[in-house]
Formats: sequence, C-alpha cells, structure tokens
Amino acid sequence: MTLVTSRPAPGAARPYAFPAVRRISAHGGTVIAAHLPGQILASAVLLLDAGAARETAGREGTATVLAKSLEEGTRKRDSAAYALALEGLGAELAPSVDWDAFRVGVSAPGPLLAGAVRLAAEAARTPKLDPADVARVRDDEVTALRMDWAQPGPRADAALRGDLFGADGRYSRPLHGDPTSVAAVTVEDVLAFHEAWLLRPGVLLVAGDLDGLDLDALAEAAFEGTSGEPLEPAGPLGVVLPDRRRTILVDRPGSVQSTLRLGHRAPERATPDYVPMTLAATVLGGAFTSRLNHLIREVKGYTYGIRGSYAMTRRSGRFEVAAGVQTAVTAPAIRDTLGEIARTEAEGVTEAELEVARSWRAGQLSVEMQTPGAIAGALASLVVHGLPDDYYETLRREYLEATVERVSQAAADHLSTDRLTLVVEGDGAVIRDELAEFGDLADAEV
Amino acid sequence: MTSPTAPVATTGYPWPIETTRLANGLRVVVSEDRTAPVVCVNLWYDVGSRHEPPGQTGFAHLFEHLMFEGSQHVRKTEHMKLVQGNGGSLNATTNPDRTNYFETMPSEHLELALWLEADRMGGLVPALTQETLDNQREVVKNERRQRYENVPYGDAWLRLLPLLYPPGHPYHHATIGSMEDLNAADLDTFKAFHQQYYAPNNAVLTVVGDAGAAEVFALAEKYFGAIAAVPDIPPAPDGTLPGPAPEPAREEVTAAVPAPRIYLSHRTYPFGTKGYDAMTVLATVLGNGRGSRLYQRLADGARIAQPDYIGAYGVDLAHAPAPLIVTATAKDGVSLETLEAGLSDVMRSLIDEPVTDDELNRAKALLTTAWWRQVSTAGGRADTLGRYATQFGDPAAAAERLAQWLAITAEDVTEAAKEVLRPESRVTLTYLPGEPS
Repeated sequence: MTLVTSRPAPGAARPYAFPAVRRISAHGGTVIAAHLPGQILASAVLLLDAGAARETAGREGTATVLAKSLEEGTRKRDSAAYALALEGLGAELAPSVDWDAFRVGVSAPGPLLAGAVRLAAEAARTPKLDPADVARVRDDEVTALRMDWAQPGPRADAALRGDLFGADGRYSRPLHGDPTSVAAVTVEDVLAFHEAWLLRPGVLLVAGDLDGLDLDALAEAAFEGTSGEPLEPAGPLGVVLPDRRRTILVDRPGSVQSTLRLGHRAPERATPDYVPMTLAATVLGGAFTSRLNHLIREVKGYTYGIRGSYAMTRRSGRFEVAAGVQTAVTAPAIRDTLGEIARTEAEGVTEAELEVARSWRAGQLSVEMQTPGAIAGALASLVVHGLPDDYYETLRREYLEATVERVSQAAADHLSTDRLTLVVEGDGAVIRDELAEFGDLADAEV
Repeated sequence: MTSPTAPVATTGYPWPIETTRLANGLRVVVSEDRTAPVVCVNLWYDVGSRHEPPGQTGFAHLFEHLMFEGSQHVRKTEHMKLVQGNGGSLNATTNPDRTNYFETMPSEHLELALWLEADRMGGLVPALTQETLDNQREVVKNERRQRYENVPYGDAWLRLLPLLYPPGHPYHHATIGSMEDLNAADLDTFKAFHQQYYAPNNAVLTVVGDAGAAEVFALAEKYFGAIAAVPDIPPAPDGTLPGPAPEPAREEVTAAVPAPRIYLSHRTYPFGTKGYDAMTVLATVLGNGRGSRLYQRLADGARIAQPDYIGAYGVDLAHAPAPLIVTATAKDGVSLETLEAGLSDVMRSLIDEPVTDDELNRAKALLTTAWWRQVSTAGGRADTLGRYATQFGDPAAAAERLAQWLAITAEDVTEAAKEVLRPESRVTLTYLPGEPS
C-alpha cells in the first residue's frame, strides 16, 4: 500500500447562507439579530454613531478615554460592584472605538445575555463619570499609549497616517490619539462627548440562539432613557495622491528589524470597486501564497510575514503594505516589495492567482463567521455601511464571479507605486543611507 | 436586581464524539455537527520542544514550518494554495508539549484536507531540500526577532523558563530555540526527526463539523491507512519534579522598556489534574477581569499598577507542573519595590484570606463563558478533542473539564495556594528601564 497519489475532487457543496436575520423596532431603537441554532454563547453589541472622527482637534483619544471610563461606576453602583455584577454573569464589557462607530459589546451564555446587556447599557447610558475617575483614566491611558508606542509599529503607523491624510483633520491623527493628545483631553471633553453622542438609541446587534432570547426585552434594556434621531452621515474624503514617492524614517536605535509601512490613499468602503480591489489586494498581499509573502518570506526569507490590504471606512480608504524585515535586508526588501506592487499595478492578476483569491474570500464567509461575536461584527458592518440583510450572499456571489479583467483594472486604478509613502521604522544609524534610493527622505515628527 | 446564576453544566461537550483506531495506530476522533457547512481537520502530534536534546532547541518548531513546504505529491507552496484556494483557513503551532496542524474548510473539501495531511505525514522526507530548510530557518529567525527580540519585555518567557525548570528538564528551554542552535540545524537531523515522530501511532486525527463518523473513518483508512507505524518511539525526558522549587530564583533586567514590570511565577501542577483545576480557578480569582484581586487591589485600590497590564494566568502544560504567571507594570512614579510589595501581599492573601462566594462565582462564570467560547467553532472543538485524546487517552474527557472547574471549592484554592505559591518557591523577574548593562 502507498499514499494516495492524486488530489481528491471536491464533494457536493452545500449552499451558503448567512444566518437568518430578524429585525425589530422597539423602545425607540432597532434590534438586528442573527439566529444561530444550538449556540450556547450569545453576543450583543450596542452600536453608536460616535466614532473617533467626532473628536475635537487636538483632543484625539477622547472617545477612547470615555470607553475606558464607562466601567468606573454607574449612577447605580460603584466600579467594584459593577465589575462583580457583570463578571458574575460571565461577561466582560468590550467597549471599542473605530473611525465610524463606538461599540459596547458583551458575550455570555444565552440565558444570561439580557442581564449583561442591561449592565452594558447602564454603563453606556448612565456612567458615573466622576471627574477624579475620568482624570485618572485619562492619565492611565497616556501611560498605556506610551507603553504601546514603545513597541515597533505605532509610530510608523502614525507617520504614515499623518502623511496620507495631512489635510484631513481628525483623519491625519492616530485612531486612539497619541500620548500628547490624550494628555490634553479634559474631563469636560469626555463628559461632552458622552452627552453629545452616546445618548441616541443606536442599534443593538444580537447573535445567538434566538429561540432562547427575548428581543423586546433586549431592546428595552438597550434603549431605555434614550432619545434623538439618527445622524446624517458625512461624505467621503476623496482620494488625494502626492505627485511623487517619498520616504519617512522613524528612528528606532538598535532595532533588529525594520518595520515597513508603505501606503497611499484609496476610495472609501462604498466604492463600487470594493470586491475587485479586495481580490487584487488578496493576490498581491492577502493570501499566504500572495505575491508579496511568496517572494519576501518564502523565497527570500527576509520576514516572518508581509501583508498588503485596503482598509476602508465610511469616509476614507487607504492601501497599505506592512511587514517587519531583518535590519540588514531593509533596502532589498523594500525594492522587492515595490517591484511586486508595480507588477500588479501594470500587469494585473492571472486567472490562477485570482481563482485562489476568489475561493478563499468566498469560503472565509463561512469559515471565519462561526462564532456569535463574528456574526455580531458582520451585522455591525451592515449597519455602518448601509447594506441589506442579504448582503453576505451577494458578496459571496460577487467574489466568485469577479473576472481577471475587472480585478486587473481595479489594481491599475487603485495601486499607485510611484506615489506611495514609504515609512521605515528602524535603526537609523544603519539604514538611513540606503533609503535614499527610494525617493525624498525625511525624518518623522512622531 | 437579583442576578441569575450561571446555568449548571451537565456536560461541557454536548455534541457526539466517535472514535476509532487504524491498524497503524492512528487514532481518529469525529464530532459531527451539521449546523454550518464547514469542517475542521486537526492533527495533534505528540512531539514538542520537550523532546529536543541539547544543541537542538527550536527544532520541533522549525520542523513545523517545513511541513508547509511540500511533500511527496504536493509541490512546494501548493499546500497553502490548495487550502486557501478552496476557501479554508489553516495554521499550526508548536509548544513544549506537542505540535498541532489544522485547517477549517468548506465541508466539500474534507477529503482534500485529509489527503494533504496524509501526504505530509507519510511523504515529507522525499520532498525536504536544503533550500527549503535554509529559507525557513531565516523565516523562523525573523519570527524570533519579531516576537521576542524587538519588543519591550518580549524575552520574558525565554527568561522565565530556565528559572522555573532546572537544566535538563524538558521545559527548561523555550520552543523558539536559540539562534545558535537554529544556525546549526542540518537536513539529516530533520529527516530523522520526521521519521521518528511523525508517525500515525504518535498522532491523533480529529474531524469536527459537517461530516459523519462512518464517512471520516473510511476516508482516514483510505488516506492514512498505508502509512507504516513507527515502533519504539522514544519518550521525551521525564518531567517529574519533586514539588515546588526548593528555593526562590530572581533575575533583574535593565533594558529599553517603557516602565518597570514584574513577573512572578511558580511551578504548580500538570494540566489535567485537580490541582491544576484549582490553579485555573485561582488564576481567575487572582488576575482575570476587573473584579479580580489584582485589579481591585493594585490597579483600582492602591493604584500602583497600570490597569491594562495586570493579570495572572496558567500555561496549560501537561507533562510537568505547569507555570502560573502573574504580572504587573508600575504606574508613573511607582517604584519596582512598591509594586513588588503590593504583588506579594496579594499573592499572600490567597493563603491568608479565604476566597469569598462572590469571588468564586465570578471566576466560575468567567471560566464558563471562556469554555463555551473555546468550543464555539469547529476548530476550537477539534483542538480540544485532539488535546484530550493525546494527553489523557480519551477525547470524551474534555466534557468533564468545565464541571471539574465548577466543582472547585474555596478550600481547594487555598490548599493549592498553600502548597505551591509560597514565596520560598517563587521565581521573580523584574524589568527596569535603562541602558542594557
């Protein structure tokens, strides 16, 4: 007997279906729920139109300080009692801030979800926000950011963002602010942000076995005491590219790796090119067998991993390649990376590569969406981007039907090798001279 | 408001489990769940860095990389292309105990996943080349730089292990290995490593999700049945230890770190024992969540520790007493000495102050959620069953873990703390900001 020599053919595919979605309007707000029969855990996310983009200039990080202040006690109980009540249900509060939204999430065994949502709403709607607590949380956040910024990456990210979005106010600054802007956040800023943006009903997303969940009761818990109409979304920022490539050095003395962040602006999430752009980026730097990972990791051994992707929010988009490469090969790694981006821009993708990208992206819709948390996140995307309940079925079909021509055209339209900003965070004493070949070199101001 | 209490779990694994063993010794575990059209294929090989002899640290993990570089009927790079190109997610991990490989696929590709796994179990050696080894050695050295060398405190785990376990102990060295040993790795050693350990009788194949047991058993025979068993696989060095460390150990590091930080660690009990269940509950009482003692007393109460960087956790190792790790980072203006005194007080409180009902219920509720989260995906379930089959000989034993946690009493926690958390057996690792000496 020997090993089976030939690759088996696939069996019959079961049709794809996103979990059944149920919507109710009750108690002044909307609940969007996905039914996951048999799931023991359930997740809920209170989604509020209170993203970082709503912060005041110079006070970037206000929403994050608020998110971290929510658990410092509510009008009903102090912080210790709150922690005990929520964690006694097996739940932990997961407040988060992104460009488009402020989320307050909880997960718990199904029968305990209503209690967890009640407590999450209590923190989101009626936090105590004692000035001394808020000031302490702010100071702790400054320290936490300094800890984070001591790692490779955040300073390079900030330098790239500052360069790409320099003329776009809030979008030119890091999502969670930097140590300086957070230090400038006042108690009044935090209270005002809460008052202005966290008291509208928002939307409650629920994922779990709905046979055991009372959506009306969840709505009551989430929306009690709220008022106000949904906000009008602001328009996209547009795509502005510089007229030539530039390089920014972020010095990190003694670093054994150089952290690369190469990027330029791209359309926002609503672009009709979303699917072909995603597939082009998958071929270039998304899949393990992508052009970048194959060359830079698997052939050259310069890195543990390299990724290229488009990140798109409601108002903005950007293309980015990210990697950590051994210091000694910084210039060769950048050269090879630029070569693969340029090749993709000029020549597009091949059918063989696209076939991998299509199937992978389509398959991920079932493979990576198994948990209540993942499904609740998928529901949130529907709300943030105004997509219909059957969107994931449509998306899957669009992935599978994308043609080489369409994806190659998207690569040509939305990659711009000669207008990239190259941010390199590494040991300046070693790498500065060799960066000159990549265009105007400047030192980062971060 | 009266808070409802967590439901009492009668089983932590309410899905079917069926098992068989092929003639070549491969154990096959199947857990059918037709809810979603996905299936996970998971292989646990009972080999990890604990098997590495001196001079070969990092070899088990470097070998894991080589398993993705082609085999007898799978060309270089084709493995990843076939899994992702058919919609799947895949990965592999190596730790001191074992190496696991897993892919979750749309279920019509079950057979493909089994074929790929069988080909690299039975046919890796003919495809292994010097070029592949040289390339992946560089990738792993970059992994070491990225994860351990280029980040503040990144080497803590590398420093803790030799303080916790004596020279020659299978957990004395870290899985990532040393640069020197990685540089010395030669091709023949890896060929021999595969022939020795990557045997059907040293592995458990687990399939979870949209597939039935009869179908999987037949496919396992079809794809893996031809692979010969390896007789007399040598065990790893014995990890038995006489008890907690006989004396404390301490290392003080000055490095480019942003704030003073402390790691306290103890050898406790092997994963899977009642002692370790008590330690799991204890770690949650001590350092998991805002209601934990560490958070309440040092981050919230005394306000000497940074709230985002305080906690305690056990590392679930089964072949010797597993470590409990406790860590805290000083707030601005707080000295290492103040922080260490605070940490020591909280550690002592586990012996002096009985765990209250509220603390115990909180810990058990969090562990209950964590358990259900772990088994909420086909991949999480498959890895859990593979672990219990490999380490305890019975995948169904996984169903008991949650109930065993919930059965732990306050007395159990105190007894465990008294036995293994005394300062006399403590490992202390401190970091101070400054120029490395």
